[in-house]
Amino acid sequence: MSAPSSRTASAGKLTEAMGDAQSRRIGRLTTWPAQALLLFIVLFPTIVTVYVSLTAWTPLDGKPWTQAYKTFWWFENYWEILSDRKLFAALGRTLLIVIIAVGFQVLFGLGLALLFVNNFRARPLYYTLILMPMMVVPAVAGYMFLMLFQSTGPINQIISVILGHSFEVVWLANETLAIVAVIVGEVWQWTPMVFLILLAGLMSVPEDQIKAARLLGANWAQIIWRISLPRIKGVLAIAIGIRLIEGLKLFDIMYIMTKGGPGVATETLSLYIYKRTYGDLEWAYVSALGLVIVITMSLLGLALVALMRPSRRVQLVHVAK
Amino acid sequence: MKFSSVGRHIVIWIAIVVALFPIAWMTSMAFKPPLEWTSAAGTVSWLPKEPTLANFEYIFTGKSSAYPSSTLMERTALWPILSSLLISTVATLIATIVGALAAYGYSRHRFGTNLPFALLQLRLFPPLAVMIPVMIMWAYLDLIDTWWGMALIYGIGTLPFGFWLMLTFLEDVPVELEEAAMIEGADPARIFYRITLPLLKPAIATTALFVFILNWSDYIMALLLTRKAWVTLPVFMNDLNSAQTGQLYGAKAALGLIAIVPPLILGILIQKHLVRGLTFGALKQ
Repeated sequence: MSAPSSRTASAGKLTEAMGDAQSRRIGRLTTWPAQALLLFIVLFPTIVTVYVSLTAWTPLDGKPWTQAYKTFWWFENYWEILSDRKLFAALGRTLLIVIIAVGFQVLFGLGLALLFVNNFRARPLYYTLILMPMMVVPAVAGYMFLMLFQSTGPINQIISVILGHSFEVVWLANETLAIVAVIVGEVWQWTPMVFLILLAGLMSVPEDQIKAARLLGANWAQIIWRISLPRIKGVLAIAIGIRLIEGLKLFDIMYIMTKGGPGVATETLSLYIYKRTYGDLEWAYVSALGLVIVITMSLLGLALVALMRPSRRVQLVHVAK
Repeated sequence: MKFSSVGRHIVIWIAIVVALFPIAWMTSMAFKPPLEWTSAAGTVSWLPKEPTLANFEYIFTGKSSAYPSSTLMERTALWPILSSLLISTVATLIATIVGALAAYGYSRHRFGTNLPFALLQLRLFPPLAVMIPVMIMWAYLDLIDTWWGMALIYGIGTLPFGFWLMLTFLEDVPVELEEAAMIEGADPARIFYRITLPLLKPAIATTALFVFILNWSDYIMALLLTRKAWVTLPVFMNDLNSAQTGQLYGAKAALGLIAIVPPLILGILIQKHLVRGLTFGALKQ
């Protein structure tokens, strides 16, 4: 992304010293295991997906996937995607949850990162402690918040103490509150990651610029808004981009806390696919859906890379030094 | 950017309390006897009133005298823990060795295709959207619910991290030493073992630990590709319910605690490099 791709993809750093033929040979030798694994996981699955997605095959038939052609029905599955209201509802919920969650992650992450820019005593210890949620196994994080949000759990107790009267909401059984609970879990786990990335960006803002601005009488808000933020635009974009992509995969926390419920209130894209994969065993439909998702995301990804490339490289030079 | 020092410490401490509270609650729960798992309204016991190892006893022996007599575990947690360890370790070896080799070839030698981007794409899509053909292929090759099948899918899944991390580390290692040795006429394999590899040792260790954390933390692939024999720790934990008493909060908390300790320790060890790892090397610290 940064240095490697700015160089032409073909010649390596030792190619010149070694001579072209031998360098090419070593290049092939060292990369073939990776290429083989890549081919293994891309080639056959792609063929299977395309093939199965054109049929009505399900493992329920008891026939192997190779005989799926017996239920061949062309693009029926793809037509179904277009009119699948539940799918678009799940997609909408996913986007809603992810955008709110990423918003809070950036807000809290940036706020914390700004507090950590200057050195102070105990900074390394505080830093490590704040990173810890990120290292928790996501499935376990889901279970933690399942416990915390029980109606007799600690969160209701804390709210009771603050309110001064008994507060007993069944979070995970309420359509709105279940979404809130899941977002809280997601924000808790991944704010440290945004914090970490943004802090790395902020640390690379030259100190003399900030000093100069302060001498000229700028207050801290102006310094953040006019100097720090513009300098970390690229880093911010990377953090948000990674969190959005990861957010679209959202499954573990959700599956463990709510299984998509109550009803379909927290049914994200991944959970919807999971339900159709396991509940209904509609593997042909899910294959078609998977293919559409892959193609859509690839196109979006390419468009984003094309849009971001010029501005980002400038930013990265500062960060990398 | 001048906050008063006291204000800064207060805000940071609030953040730390929020960050640690769920972990602390689960830790406390892991040492609570069944009677304290749920509390009546208006009372909350932050710490176990009668701390007990009953939960650990239960998950490792399948029964505990402190538990209601009807709760018996079919299989103890020992097996899923070993399963997670074995699968994650083998997968880490695959991703690190294959990734490091390819990164070396790509960084130092002539090579045609855009391997980095192709590998990066493996991490772009939601796993569930692409898992049907993998499940079909795994069933076809008899890889479902085997440790080698799991190690293979994890190894491929984390290969992009192994490759990209090693690539950015390699870009940081000056090439002059290798060049000099090459002009002296040294054999390429010798140069790799005597010069490049020693310089890369810390990088390889960091990459391996990072990849191990990712493998250890997976839930979804184990959920889809294991059944019983090689179920991993997170999957085992979430299936741990008793038909009679419902959620076994304490036992699950004890398992959760065991599950989060290795990545926490390893993560702290490599925290300096987490930025690089999480952004595929786009950022360094």
